Amino acid sequence: MTISTGGALTTLNKGVRAVPSLSQGIGLTIFLALIGSSGRVVVPVVIQIAIDHGLQRATSSNPQDVDVALVIKLCIGAAIYLMIAGVAQRTAVSRLGQRSESALYELRVQLFQHIHLLSLEDHNDEQRGSLVSRVTSDVETLSQFFSWGGLAYLLNGALMIIVSGVMLAYDWLLALVVIFISAPLVYVLRRVQSRLVAAYDASRLANSQVLGSTAELITGGETLHAYSAGQIFGERVKQSAKSRGDAQTKATLIGALLFPSGEIFGAISVSAVVFIGLWRGTESGLSAGALVGFIFLTYRFLEPIAELTEVLDQTQTAVSGMRRILGILAIPVGPPAPLYPISIDKGPLDIRVENLSFSYRPRDGESESHQHNVLHGLTCTIPFGTQVAVVGETGSGKTTLGRLLARFSDPSVGGISIGGVPINRIANEQLRKILVVVPQEPFLFSDTVAANLRFALPAATDQDLIDAFSHVDLQDWFEALPYGLETVVGQRGAQLSAGERQLIALVRASLINPDILILDEATSSVDASTEVRLTRALDKISQGRTTISIAHRLSTAVRADRVLVLDSGVLVQDGSHQQLVTQPGIYAEMFKSWEASHHTSE
Amino acid sequence: MHGHPTSSGRFRRATTLIRSLVAYHPALFTVSMVGAAVFAVCTVASSWLLRWIIDEVIVRRFDTDEFSLPQTLIAVALLMGLSLIRACGVIVRRSFAGRAQWRTAQSLTDEVVDVLVQQPPQWQREQSTGDLITRAGVDVDASVAVMAPLPYASSVILMMVIAAYGLISNDIALGIAATAVFPLLIALNVLYQRKVDRWFDIAQGELGSLSAAVHESFEGVTVVKAFGAENRETERLAVIASRVQSARIEAIKLRSLFEAALDFVPNLTNICLIIGGAFRVRSGDLTVGELASFIYMFTLLVFPLRLIGYALSEMPRSQAGFSRIQQLRHSPIVADPRKMSHHAGQSLVISSLSIGHDIDHPLTHNFSASFEPSSFNAIVGYTGCGKSTLLQTLAGTIPPLQGSILTPNSSLCLVFQEPFLFGTSVRDNICMGLDFSDLDLSWALKVAEADFVFQLPQGIDTVIGERGVGLSGGQRQRIALARAIVRRPHVLLLDDTTSALDPNTEINVLNNIRTELSDTIVIAVASRPSLIGMAESVMFFDVDEIHGPTSHVELLIQSDQYRLLMQAYEKPQSASDDQVEGVQG
Repeated sequence: MTISTGGALTTLNKGVRAVPSLSQGIGLTIFLALIGSSGRVVVPVVIQIAIDHGLQRATSSNPQDVDVALVIKLCIGAAIYLMIAGVAQRTAVSRLGQRSESALYELRVQLFQHIHLLSLEDHNDEQRGSLVSRVTSDVETLSQFFSWGGLAYLLNGALMIIVSGVMLAYDWLLALVVIFISAPLVYVLRRVQSRLVAAYDASRLANSQVLGSTAELITGGETLHAYSAGQIFGERVKQSAKSRGDAQTKATLIGALLFPSGEIFGAISVSAVVFIGLWRGTESGLSAGALVGFIFLTYRFLEPIAELTEVLDQTQTAVSGMRRILGILAIPVGPPAPLYPISIDKGPLDIRVENLSFSYRPRDGESESHQHNVLHGLTCTIPFGTQVAVVGETGSGKTTLGRLLARFSDPSVGGISIGGVPINRIANEQLRKILVVVPQEPFLFSDTVAANLRFALPAATDQDLIDAFSHVDLQDWFEALPYGLETVVGQRGAQLSAGERQLIALVRASLINPDILILDEATSSVDASTEVRLTRALDKISQGRTTISIAHRLSTAVRADRVLVLDSGVLVQDGSHQQLVTQPGIYAEMFKSWEASHHTSE
Repeated sequence: MHGHPTSSGRFRRATTLIRSLVAYHPALFTVSMVGAAVFAVCTVASSWLLRWIIDEVIVRRFDTDEFSLPQTLIAVALLMGLSLIRACGVIVRRSFAGRAQWRTAQSLTDEVVDVLVQQPPQWQREQSTGDLITRAGVDVDASVAVMAPLPYASSVILMMVIAAYGLISNDIALGIAATAVFPLLIALNVLYQRKVDRWFDIAQGELGSLSAAVHESFEGVTVVKAFGAENRETERLAVIASRVQSARIEAIKLRSLFEAALDFVPNLTNICLIIGGAFRVRSGDLTVGELASFIYMFTLLVFPLRLIGYALSEMPRSQAGFSRIQQLRHSPIVADPRKMSHHAGQSLVISSLSIGHDIDHPLTHNFSASFEPSSFNAIVGYTGCGKSTLLQTLAGTIPPLQGSILTPNSSLCLVFQEPFLFGTSVRDNICMGLDFSDLDLSWALKVAEADFVFQLPQGIDTVIGERGVGLSGGQRQRIALARAIVRRPHVLLLDDTTSALDPNTEINVLNNIRTELSDTIVIAVASRPSLIGMAESVMFFDVDEIHGPTSHVELLIQSDQYRLLMQAYEKPQSASDDQVEGVQG
């Protein structure tokens, strides 16, 4: 049973170190399981004793010889023991389950915290799914393991130990014969099972294909209808349903072959026991009762083998789940919290950016040379109250600059300070009161407007929230919301338009009353009336604080006090719109083409 | 099965379900049942064999102390032979039961697909997407779940009948006592499944909300970080995780209790059988071998009884799933509005058309218009005024409330605002089941400014991730445009399909369409001034009337609202408050 447990044991050890409560009280649980499992050999043993000492004399000549009193005494004792064993088993199962569920809860919470603290680089769209499945399905595989596989190890392991002990006590030779014959069963089961697992994987994959393409048939229904392609795509789904059927049929066939192998080995073992037992007869001290009891014990011995080998695969799944979880816990968290934070008060704070460079750390499988610098030696000072627009082509590094200013990441070289304090020395809670970021696609939780606003300031009263709307001149828009603060925004804010989501995000940011506001503008187009509101709200919110807009629309740059132009990570132009538009250079060109597209005349 | 307290109605529903499921692949199911019968007979026979071996071989051997080789060999051969036949029975039973189950699942999926393909989008809109997906997936699985254990369960019943007969004919008192325990065990098993499943279902539901919340929290991680809310979010998720945990613990507590009881009851029965047996042996009514085979038989039946419990507890879920699929299958096919629009002439003629989703609140009322070939038309208006609905009505995905649409011929293509790409290759996404030459395809991609396709890893044969993930919004829009363009339609309807493109690309795409599809009637919903500037005629959806189609300049004179809207588009930064109120209407 120690196949492929080398790496597994290490992983288990690490897992226990990560969640110590996993192994708490396991000794008592195992002890109770042993008692519980011993209940399952009671019946064969009672049969043996009853036959040898109570019943067998009857068969010879005189049936009246049956010692009924002995049998009854024996049975009452056995019944009492069975009860004790039942209680012990119940307690063991329940303890194991409760302990493991509590430990997995702790593990989940640990994962939530850790993943929230990971830097944004580890949170990109491609990785989100896998981060989510770490805390959901991977923890689930562990839960499955503890409630089925772990339990099977516990109960069946205990049962096998006890059954083989009893068999050895009866007749060591017969016991060895049974153990010897069953050994190849483990091998056969393993071989067939690994093929079975592969077949199950194939059918699961086929099933997800069917589900995926059926879902497309539904979500893409309008497109299919518009292009009269329903029939053809429907045929494809049917084709994949057929392949799923084939895969499932194959898996059931392998499963069907696997199942009776225990039966065959059982028959061989029992035949051997019968043959050897009869051949040796009484000389070896064997009795008829012991031989019959032994036959029953042989069946009991083989039962757990099949179950244990089935569990091995589950163990592998659980171990690899645990390995993936430990892998996440091993990723260092995002910008580290300062060891000795410097306190800083809100107020008119200047921003100083000094020799700022940033390159993404190479991903797994990428060489060091593959890493590309996103920002190169950027230096500038932004006095308090300035309205700054950062412009540049896609990939110029403007979004990265915004992230560094917000300390979502730390620079590779250089530093940023606010009010003279390096931002990596400011405690996170304090920094988030001074500086607020409104991200490009402002994320809204599928909840009410109020709940989304309170995300910034949980203590805010309804009046605070309503006031926040009027402070940024959005009173009229707010009043038009069907249910006011209780208006539900839908999943990711889908009930609102992109522009309206940005409005909410601005109000949310304004609740903090930050000294510095970093706005990552949305690229998507916004309908005209919302655009007007958005501009008005931005003007309002910018008053009395520093704003840094990562601008995708040049209208923002036109309104700003100062424009920073980035090109391939380098600060190439720095000045007001009026200055830059007259200078020959990137900005003037960008402005020209932008203007051309925003007028009805070609 | 009758021992379980079921009303006759429930029993009839169960048999109806089984009959309908079996009807899909009766041959497979029958073979499986034959295997099950072989298995049942061999199982009972093996207990008789055991009795014979104990009485005639083992006890005699130890009584007389004589080893008879032939007799021993016969015993061993019978043991092995019977096991082999039984094993074959198991293989046939299991493999054919599985085959019947999964082929039935396939047939059910096919039926659901047929419905999905036949019903027009209007019907789909009335259903919830999630519900339809559930019916196609979970409900199919649930329906057939009851099939796999059926042959086994029936073989167990057969075994019980034979065994009960054997037990009772052997010894009436002991036989009745032993058989009386079977229904008790079945009931216990069913109760177990139902009780524990309830908590597992609750845990599963909570797990679903946990994954949704986790996904949302991780997706919104920028906001979480922006407000330093990491700890708050962890606490929020922990509350949901703890609900999963407590439901699981409830399930585990119940389960441990039932498991112990299910072990204890048969063991105790065995003990009682031994006591009873001792009396019967003393009175000479029973041999030791008979008693042992009695106990063996009983033990053999205990585990299979669990499966009956399982099958019975699956029944309600299967019934629910199957009836939901049948409901879907028998829902009347909604008429396809596209088939109702008439074909005539070269122009697109709309007469007294009312559109919308609700006859009492039409989005537009009784309007008429005509679009000539080679014309480029823009539709302008506020969000929610019915621009998209008009295009979808023209395309026949939404039926008109009143009035008629005359389209030149069937070649009319609508490009949706949110392009939907299928998880197949770019080629398949453009062809959508038709055959186009590589030349046509690359022409269409060029017109749509979608040359980036050729830079993809496998070029036009690159498979797009689910729902077009892996491509930017603008790239998806351009592929969707190429899908329409390659068909060289007589009418091309663009529902703000260039919104995610940068302004220069947008102008290029529109210019390409004008020059390459010169005979086509193009009707485009416009959210940017550049598109309006290109159009010969503009339709303006005002609050209560529709202006045009007429020229942009004409509209500027005709409608104050239109003028205000255009000003808002061009100079967002200088729009005054009055203008905003005006735009709002």
